[in-house]
Formats: sequence, C-alpha cells, structure tokens
Amino acid sequence: MVIKREKTEKKYMHYPTVEDKSTEAHKEWEPWVHKGLWAIKGYQVVRGPSGGGTVEEALKRKPKDFMVIDRASAALYSHSYGLVSPFFRGLLDGKLKGTKCPKCGTVYCPPRAHCWNPKCAVAETEWLDLPLKGVIHTFTIQCLAASPFANMLPFSMGYVKVEGADTTLPMFLHIDPKEIFIGQKVEIKFAPKEKRKGELMDLYAVAVPSQKVPEWSCLHKNPRDMEMLQESMKKTLEWVKKRYGIDNSPEVRGW
Amino acid sequence: MARKVAVVGGGLFRPDIWHGENAEEGVAIAYKDLLKSVPNLTPDDIDALMMSYFSDHLNGQLCMGWIIQDYLGLHGKPGYRIESGGSTPIDALVNAFYLIKSGYYDVILIPGWEWMCEVDVATTNEMIASASDTDWDFPVGGYYNAYYAALEVRHMQLYGETCEDLGRIAVKNHNNATHNPYSQWVSLHGTGKITMDDYWKSRMVCWPYRVLNNAVMSEGAACLLMASEKAAHKFTDTPMWITGVGLGTDSMRPGDRTADFVYENFKEEAKIYPDFVEPIKTPYPDMANFASLNIAAKRAYKQAGITNPVKELDVAEIFAPYDGVELVLYEDLGFCSRGEGKTLIREGVVEFDGELPVMLSGGLTSQGHPVGATSLYQILFLYYELAGKMKEKYGPDALQVPDARKALITGHGGTGCQGAVMIFEAE
Ligand SMILES: [Zn+2]
Repeated sequence: MVIKREKTEKKYMHYPTVEDKSTEAHKEWEPWVHKGLWAIKGYQVVRGPSGGGTVEEALKRKPKDFMVIDRASAALYSHSYGLVSPFFRGLLDGKLKGTKCPKCGTVYCPPRAHCWNPKCAVAETEWLDLPLKGVIHTFTIQCLAASPFANMLPFSMGYVKVEGADTTLPMFLHIDPKEIFIGQKVEIKFAPKEKRKGELMDLYAVAVPSQKVPEWSCLHKNPRDMEMLQESMKKTLEWVKKRYGIDNSPEVRGW
Repeated sequence: MARKVAVVGGGLFRPDIWHGENAEEGVAIAYKDLLKSVPNLTPDDIDALMMSYFSDHLNGQLCMGWIIQDYLGLHGKPGYRIESGGSTPIDALVNAFYLIKSGYYDVILIPGWEWMCEVDVATTNEMIASASDTDWDFPVGGYYNAYYAALEVRHMQLYGETCEDLGRIAVKNHNNATHNPYSQWVSLHGTGKITMDDYWKSRMVCWPYRVLNNAVMSEGAACLLMASEKAAHKFTDTPMWITGVGLGTDSMRPGDRTADFVYENFKEEAKIYPDFVEPIKTPYPDMANFASLNIAAKRAYKQAGITNPVKELDVAEIFAPYDGVELVLYEDLGFCSRGEGKTLIREGVVEFDGELPVMLSGGLTSQGHPVGATSLYQILFLYYELAGKMKEKYGPDALQVPDARKALITGHGGTGCQGAVMIFEAE
C-alpha cells in the first residue's frame, strides 16, 4: 500500500507541519548551504617543531614550515524529540511534565517514553503533571562554558530532583552561590512566554526563601573556598563584559 | 584460559597543543618509534589493526582509519575502528585481546591518535560535549567540565574531600609529568615543579575544578603492539601479560543514576550513604561514584586473582579527565572503602614513593589527552615500568618503580557511561 502524504510547503518535511517556529532559523542558516562547505577559504604558513622523540629532541631540530588551511563546516539539524515531545511542548505552556511507569511506579523527569527497569520489559509510561518544586541534587558554578553559553557566564548549573520524580533534571539555578547548597529546596520558574523555545533553557530554579545554609555544605565549610570563588566570578564578569559587552552582574540581570 | 595475550611494545609521537604534522604523519612517527624499539617486527608479522580514535567532528574527516592504515602501508590487512568516547583506546586494546585470545590472530597493531586543535577550544569543547545527551544534558550550559564538576560536588558533599584534596592530586600529577620528557606539560611549561600555591592561582573553570584539575586538549599518536604467547617472544624479552579484563557500562545521563535499576542489587556498595541527604532509589552509584568502573574492576580482579589491590598492585594509571575522577576511582576500584579516597591522597599512598603510585605518567591533565591515543600512552608507560626499562625510554630522570610486577589501568568514557579495567603482569 502506498501511503499518500500531504503536500507541504517545506520540501524537506515528509509530513505536515502543524506548528512552525523554525522559519527564521532556516532563513538564517540557508545561506550556509551555499557557502560551500569544506571549500578552502584561506591559508597561513606556520613555522614549528617537527618529528618524534622527546620535547627536547623536537626543539633541537630545525623548525619546518607547515601550511595550514581554513575550511568551514556548518549544518542545521532538524531533530525530533520523539515520543517525549509533550514534555517540550509542555514547557511552552509553562507546564512541567514527567512520565510514570504503570508497572513499577517509577516517575521520570527527564521523562522516558519506556520504563528502563529491566523487570518492566520496556513498558510504555504515562504522562503526568509535576509540581514546580524540587530539591538541588548537585550543582556547579561555571566560570567557563561551551560557546552557546559563554556570554551568560558566570552561572550556576545544577541537577534538580523535581518533587515526586525519581530522576534528576539539569537546569540553570538563579541562586547566589553564597546561598546555594545540596538539598536546597527550589521553585521552578519559566522564562517569559514569548521567549520560550520548547527547550530546557525555558526553565530555571530559584531558592525557596529563608532557608539556612547548613553547616555541612561543602561550598561553605571553608570560607576561603567561597572567597576564591567570588574572586573568580568577578574576573569572569569582567571578561564577559570585555568580550561580549554584556553586564551579567546580579544587579543588572536580576539573578 | 589457554591462550595468553601480551603487550609486547609500542611507539609514540608525543602529545602537544599543536603539531605541524597531520594525524597520519603523526601515527607514522609513532609507528616508526615502535619499529625502532622492536627491531624484530616486520609489517608481515602484523595480522590485523584496531584503529583507535574518538571524533569525526574535530577534523571533518570520516573513516580516518582508512587513511591511517593506507599511510602506514598496511592496507590489505584486516582492520577497523573502535570508538567509545574516552574509553576508545582501552576498548581497542580489549578488542584486540579478545581477538588474539580467541585464536583468530596472533599479532595486532593498535594505532591511536587524535588531532584536537583544528577548531577553537570552545568549539572543541562543544564537539566533545556532543558525546553527552544532546537533548537533555548538553542544552543546559553543558560541557564535560561542568558535568564532572557537578558530579564531584555531589561526592564532595557526601564524603567530605575538599578543594585542597583536588589540589593535592593536581600537584602530584603535574610534578610526575615533569619526569616524563614526552609530556605536554614539559613542552608547554618545562620541568619546574608546581606547588599548592600555583594550584590556588590557577583559573577557576567550574567550581571546584581549576585549570590544573582538567584534562588538556592535545594532538598526538601512539602505536601499541599486542601478541599471543606464541608470537610474543619474537618481539621482546619483557612481554606485559594481560591477566584481567573487565568492562562495565552505566546510564547515559548522570542525572538518571538516582533511580538506576541496574544497581538495585548493589546493597553492599549502597550501605555507606550519609543520612543528612534525602534518600534516593539507588544510593550507589548516585551521581557521586562510578559504578561502571566498580563492575569492571571486580571482573578484572577476579580474573587476575587480586583480592587486595593496594597491596598486590605496584603501579596504576587511571583515566581521569578531572582530578575528582581519580579520587573517586580510588574508591570504586577498591583501593580504599567508599569515602576514603581523600585519605589515600592525604597520606601519600598514591605518590611515587607510596604503597601504590598512581599516574606517574602525569595522566590526562599533564601528560596529554589526544583521546584515541591517551590510554595507549599510559599503557606504554606501564609497559616500561613492568619491564624495568623506564630510564631507557623516558630518560635518566624517569620515575621507575623498583621491581614493579603488577599494574592496573582504567579506561573511561562519557560521565563514566563506559569503563574498562585491565590488569597487567610482568613475565
Ligand atoms: Zn517500570
């Protein structure tokens, strides 16, 4: 039997698009396709050491000239979130969803469409709404990040165990490192509706007010650690300001 | 287990931040180094090749293994690529071990390499981080430094090591590397020693990790030669026998390890779990320890008949892209009980003159970390340790453990998603 597919405007899609927020991205990236991926854009000649052996042996040899070319590669991936798409669409509506295994009762957030408990034989899970609260399972304070996040430094990223869930979900923590600790109760918030993209960065956590940092908190036990961290964060703020012209100090960005 | 398998030699092209030579030329230099140190080896002896390299993104070249095999003039022979993130090189070795053990081949060459500096560092980090779950982990500030920092914070909270302990490991490993004339640290900084003061001054990356705690980006290559018992003595008088091989795997996302049914029956390991934190479904490994390596170690020890690793092993190389991994693995590898990793570094057990020296090569943070070659460098290092020939290869200042007989190495991919432990013994 031949399945008849509806014609769509976008020729790269095989099935109808029922909601479209990707036009801009496609417009932005489309020219890259014509830029000639892997075409050679330029070169430089670099004089450097060569050959095997130890560092000393290599440095003793006469340096050689190496021709170094520049070639670019880029692509726009249209990737499906699969059966857990409702989670990401839920984010657009300010809802946090998880899945529950009907056999063993495990609650997953991040959701899984199938239970991974070997006893449940990849049982299909059921959707449920989760409360917008949780507990910090662990965290880090980043003074360096991969390219898409570098202009947001410094920030804190953590794994949050959402109330009722058994697994933990990574998210940004809009919490001052002076207050942050493992076990801290948090409220989960959403970015303003118009800014949401149906991705994890749509949500973040803030501390439930008036919690005391426990004396066992690893970041606070030794005041010197906190001092040095604050110093590093200050330097990071300055770097971001210089590099991107963005002021990420708490007074300006609000967290 | 009838057939024995040995590492019988190797060659290397030192790791560095940049090489003018490209990957195939770098592997050729390493291969030449192997041919020089194993004069009886001819290309005809080689039955098959296992190509060890991690990334296709970093050089934009698919099927680089074909280029390498061709460049060495070894095309025509059976060969294929092994890839499992950071675990790539050790898995190439494990695979070669199985193939020789099975009787299928007698001599296998493992070329390993990585050329990681063609794109800028931030992009390299991003490309490496695409080995993490790009739907669920990568989209949140993600790169491996951050995940591993978060994992370490959890361990730190549960078991009480401090920033100072992480500094102690950094100082130990960097100072070990100053004795390794092939190390990237020596290339970039010379042979001067570092102190805790240098550590505190090094730049914060993701708390609690500083630059000196983190693996470096490298370009480099190594070639290892493996042989059956029948073939081994043609190549060396000091074969390094593989007496234990253990593999383990873990969940893709560290965040899921709080409810990981695979570890439901890890009751013993789960026992030591502090009561000041909220209980979770599977308190071992949580996000703090590496169960994949714990499983791998138990399997390897059983085969090698090891019951007390600190006593029975003479030297160990650990795959630790971040220093906390080394500390945590002291526990998962059974060098101490859980929570006591900090004690081993504080008491100097893992120093050169300690009971079980760990990471004498300098490891990933200071010897270098061109992924596909990393463990091969470490294994070659152990080969010379067990052969008692350290000074021959690494110079008069090399750290030779006296009478070293047994060694351990670990491999480690992702956030401990995959791990391997191998035990080596001198003849
Ligand atoms: Zn289930």
